[in-house]
Amino acid sequence: MRSKVILALGAIGMPLLIRNLYVLMFLVPDDMEQGPVYRIFYYHLPAFLVAAVGYLTAMVSSVMYLVKKDQKYDAIAVSATEVALAFAAVNLVTGMIWGRISWGIWWAWDPRLTWALISWLVYFGYLMLRNAIDDPTERAKNSAVLSIFASASVAITWKAIEWWRTQHPGPVLSIRTGGVQKIDPAMENMLYINWLALLLLGAIFLLVRLRQEEVQREIDALRRYAHAMN
Amino acid sequence: MDERNITYMFYGLAVAWGLLALYAVLLGLRERDLTKQLETLRRMVEEKK
Amino acid sequence: MTMLRHAATIAAKDLRSEFRTKESINSTLSFSVVILLLFAFAFDPSPDMIAEFGGGLLWIVFAFAGALIVNRSFARELPNDCIDVLVSSPASGASLFLGKALAAFILLFGIECICLPVFGIFYNVTWWRSLGGLLGVLALGTWAMACTGAFISALTVNLRLRELMLPMLVYPILIPALLPVMMLTNTLLTGQPPPSDFTVWLRLLIGFNIIFTTLSVYLAETILVR
Repeated sequence: MRSKVILALGAIGMPLLIRNLYVLMFLVPDDMEQGPVYRIFYYHLPAFLVAAVGYLTAMVSSVMYLVKKDQKYDAIAVSATEVALAFAAVNLVTGMIWGRISWGIWWAWDPRLTWALISWLVYFGYLMLRNAIDDPTERAKNSAVLSIFASASVAITWKAIEWWRTQHPGPVLSIRTGGVQKIDPAMENMLYINWLALLLLGAIFLLVRLRQEEVQREIDALRRYAHAMN
Repeated sequence: MDERNITYMFYGLAVAWGLLALYAVLLGLRERDLTKQLETLRRMVEEKK
Repeated sequence: MTMLRHAATIAAKDLRSEFRTKESINSTLSFSVVILLLFAFAFDPSPDMIAEFGGGLLWIVFAFAGALIVNRSFARELPNDCIDVLVSSPASGASLFLGKALAAFILLFGIECICLPVFGIFYNVTWWRSLGGLLGVLALGTWAMACTGAFISALTVNLRLRELMLPMLVYPILIPALLPVMMLTNTLLTGQPPPSDFTVWLRLLIGFNIIFTTLSVYLAETILVR
């Protein structure tokens, strides 16, 4: 059943991604100030949105695990976090490349970039913790708790960095206002459609990863069974 | 300047696709590894029966 | 309240044990002094530079020292399964955690108070101009560190790579507390007039402390009971 869902999503998502790439490279007009490089934005922002959805899913799933103690929530939490990290990495690196041209520097302690980096590190720590715990129940419990901590920290960090940045003015162009001051309707639509495409891709990744978690659990059960048979 | 602009656009788009493709490859490798483990274990359990 | 009483008992036990052996205090203190020394070589700071990043520098030292101290909090209970005994005692997980956090706080605050004069000597800073405010801010930052650190210590106590995982997990989570405390310490350390938005920072720091203390106390039982 799930394989069918994955295939269906893939059938819609992949052509959409490819179509989008074509459109955003050739059909959408150039930005007046930035030139063609701004097109990176069509991946940069949607990737961030998908990552944010992933982080949120992970947090909700972690809370659900602590409440219901059902392993499937743990599987969703780790899958969502991993997928979110992948898309957040896309967000960070595309941001750096875009910034190299727009601001002339690879990195700036701009609120959003800084927050994105910190969030990435915090959730990466979550994956590190999971790798270090062998017992599945311990792992699920402890990582769920860490996930909640991580989410709280990430939420507060957002506010903190915002205030910090108003003290030390960053580069003139910030990501949100960078070049997209007057949003051409064609650009705005492109943004939403690419967001949809990336969201579908994220959903596919999530479902595949989820299935892998279940297979892992089956392997662990079989292993225990094999040992017991000795 | 304009040429560098377009070059970096390609870098950016390449990176976006590249990172996502990398993750897809990682998932694929893990899938293969898990399938192999599962088959080995299933065979082992069958032999023991 | 029973919980606070239990927490106080556990904190007292930890402190008593620590003051008898002094192993953690001595090593952390010497480590802090060495780091202060290294920074002096790394930057060779002038008074202007200290006015800019003295607070940040000091808090990096405190963060490293803090990691050492909180690492010990739960690790000290590992031999002889002491941690299982503690968890199965009438003291709730929350009071166990609070006691540990309290002990870590007191130890860390003590170390910070000793580091301040050392800092003053090495870097030629008269740090006592706004002493009350400085100690208050130090206390807030130290509690953030002790509370979050003790919690992550409980989380990682059974792991092989505990010493590595603890700082890796704690520091990013602690950033929203470190940011304000570094800024505030910087201002108060060098006797500069407080910036116009210092209440914002203070509120952020206090907010962080409230949120994470609540979260930790609430979730402590979950992670301690096996």
